[in-house]
This record gives sequence, C-alpha cells and structure tokens, in this order.
Amino acid sequence: MPKTKTTLTCIIALAWTAGASAQWAPVPDPKLPRDAEGNVRMDAPTPKTAAGTPDLSGLWMRTRSGPPPENAGGGGGGQLEPEQAPVPLDPNGPPIAAFFEAGQNIEGGLPYTPWAKELRDRRFALRAKDNPDAQCLPMGFLQFHQQPQPRQIIQTDKMILIVYEANYGLRYIYLDGRELPPQGEPQPYWYGYSVGHWDGNDLVVETNNLRGADEDSPYDGWMDVNGSPYTRQAKFTERFRRPTLGHLQIDLTIEDPKAYTKPWTVRVDQRLLPDQELIEFVCNENQQFERRIQLNQEPASEPSSTP
Amino acid sequence: MNRQARLKRMNIGALTGIAAAAFTASLPVAAHHSFSAEFDAAKEIRATGAVTKLDWQNPHGWIHMTVTEICERTAARGPDAVEQEWACRSPAGDEKGADWAFELGSPNGLMRQGWTRNSLKQGDVITVLGSRARDGSTNSNARSVTMADGKRLFAGSSEGATP
Repeated sequence: MPKTKTTLTCIIALAWTAGASAQWAPVPDPKLPRDAEGNVRMDAPTPKTAAGTPDLSGLWMRTRSGPPPENAGGGGGGQLEPEQAPVPLDPNGPPIAAFFEAGQNIEGGLPYTPWAKELRDRRFALRAKDNPDAQCLPMGFLQFHQQPQPRQIIQTDKMILIVYEANYGLRYIYLDGRELPPQGEPQPYWYGYSVGHWDGNDLVVETNNLRGADEDSPYDGWMDVNGSPYTRQAKFTERFRRPTLGHLQIDLTIEDPKAYTKPWTVRVDQRLLPDQELIEFVCNENQQFERRIQLNQEPASEPSSTP
Repeated sequence: MNRQARLKRMNIGALTGIAAAAFTASLPVAAHHSFSAEFDAAKEIRATGAVTKLDWQNPHGWIHMTVTEICERTAARGPDAVEQEWACRSPAGDEKGADWAFELGSPNGLMRQGWTRNSLKQGDVITVLGSRARDGSTNSNARSVTMADGKRLFAGSSEGATP
C-alpha cells in the first residue's frame, strides 16, 4: 500500500504531540519561584515548613536519573509518559529501581529466598495477572512510587498524606513521634503502619504490619510488576529527600527474611509537576480485564522486563 | 450509499485531507491491568477505519471502529532488530468481521495528553497502531492514534492553530 505509506509518512512529518495542550487547565501556584518566562525554577532551593523542616508537599511524577527506562520504544508496552530530561544521577547512590523488575539494576538481581523465587516465577508465568494494580487494588510502595500516574504529598506537622491518583491510593505517615508498633499487632493492612521522623534533611519513614504474599489472596505482597514478593514479615524503611524544589528522591530498603536473604535498597526519583492537579481515576468503574484474558496459551518466558 | 461504500469514501477523503489537521497522539500506558496477560507486544497491528464509538471510561477507554484495512507484522525487538514490512488486508470476507476495538489509557491520563471525551466522534476516520490481544479476538491495545480532525480540538498543531 504505497499510497497509504506515503500519506502516513506525511502525517508523521506534520504531527504534533497532543501532550502540549492539557485539557485540565493548569492552576498557577503564586508561591512557586519562576524565571522571566514564567517557568517554574525546578532547581530553586528546597521549600521549608514553618518548623524549619523540608516541605515535601507537591504533586510528583516519577522520573529517572539512571539508565533509560525499560521498554523504551521498540514494540509494545508503549511509553509510560513523555520522555523527560533525567535528574542528576548520583553514582554513589543505591541502584535505580525499575518498574517492571525491581532489581533490574542490582548486580546479580534481587537476593530471593528459594520460596520467594518460586513465587515470583509462578506469578510471572501467569503474566502478572494478579498484580494488584491490574485489579485496581493498592500496590506495594515501590510500585506506587514508580506508577506513571502522579501522587500528591500533603505535609503537616503531625502527619504526611500521600494521595495516589493510581487506584485512589492513600497513605498515612505519622510524624507525631509515636513508635512503630510491634510486627503483627495491628491487623495487616494494605498500607501497613508508617511512622516518620526527620534525620537532617531526610524524612525517614518506617513501615511494618503490611499484608504480604503469605496471605490467602494472590494480590498481596507485590514489589514490582513481575511479581517479586514481600511478606507479612517485611519492614520497609524509606528515606525521602527533596534536594531541590523540583526533585524528590526516595531510597527504599526492605528487610524481609522470608523473601530475601539480605536487605536491599533501591532509589526512585520523582519530579515536581507544578501548577497541575490530581485527576479522578475511579479504577473499578468498568474493570473487565479478568473477563478478557486467556491464560491457557504458552506460558510467559524471560526476559522478565518485557511487558 | 451502503455502509461499506460510505466508509471507503470517508477513508479516501480523510487520507487526502488528513495532513492539514492531523496529529499523532501518543497514549499513556497506565499499568492497571497486566498488559502482557491480555496483549502480545510482538504482534503489532495498524488499522484504519471509522470510529463507531468511544468508551470514555475507567480503567481504560476503548475505541470501537469499523476497519477498512488491517495491517499486521511481528514487532522488531532489541537494538539490532530489523523492522518488518506490514502485511495488509481488507477485512472483507474476514471471518472476524470489520468491527474492531482498541484499548486506550484511562481518561485521567488521556486528559493529560490533550484528549477529551469528544476527541473522537462517530464516523471519524483514524489509524491506530497497537498490539493485538492474545486471545485472537478483534481487541487490541492502542499505542498511538492518528486522527483526521478538521475541527482542531487541540492547540499546538503544526499550523500553530489554537482552538
């Protein structure tokens, strides 16, 4: 079809990306520092609260500092968001997390226990159909941090809320000095129990009492899209820092002796989405994914980062 | 004019007039279903046809269309892969018929890409690039949509037009 091909080439030559014109009108924030053209100065100093701590509040999109994201172009999966300039990479920082395979940039991969490796491989062979994100359910923190939909951090002196556009997720992090409860005391929750304290400019958030992959439900305890698990024994430590106005960095460490032979840490970078707002996403409206899929074909095979 | 002839005429008209107002909208791929459970990224599809309906709903929008041309190929994977030629056919006589459906992102993500629920109307002729469903049905996942839209719903076209 040479005519069609020529026409399509012509279309592509004249094409523009619709992303340039969001229909959800931006609401300029008069408090944000701007240059002469009115662009927000993303490298401006970190905002502070009245109490003098860094203020992490804002609408954040995941971004990258490390190698290009997996699945960039080339057949399937598409791009998760328009390509952005990466934030600076700290060569001394922990490995950069990947969305599909959490340990993609960890030498030797994740230190799975045999139990966890078997579970992860079983989940992968089912093409991650039980990934909680696929079921409109709350995700594990590492998946939430990297989800392409934005999240709003609302910080007060007593508490931080993280409101996720994805699957209307909502996390509470208590800053009032309370202790982390013993593991197993509160009932296990999708979001666990999180307490935070300031360590210099880092907000250190510890979480336990999560539902885990050792629950009855297949949707519990997913670290990443491919199915790396965490269990009810998991303890997460996240260090949130905001090096500049426009950059949020989260180092996430998991200790989970049932799933991993040693703790491991990965880094997630996020960029400020200034003058924008969350947009409603009621995931359960018409969720028919389970009805459509067929899993009686050939099992999925590696490489694992393939969508 | 019967439906088939009408579609054919619209198709030709669109392909000649498309350049003035066309844009390619890249689709945000939110991951709230398992792409790999439902679709096969190796099976690329390019379909042209007329929109019959846009489902503007969560967790995914869907474009329903009556196709006039279906092209398929194996996706080129990896840095050294050679891009395959498209194998194109008319849906006439195809046992699956000419009614196909293409999954979009979710309305919130689509809005950030400049879409609204009125971006596609019945009869609009579009070309969709995407990946076919594993179950062999006429469902596909859309990666990009090239529209013929004389109404210029969006700002920033190559002509600098704004709505």
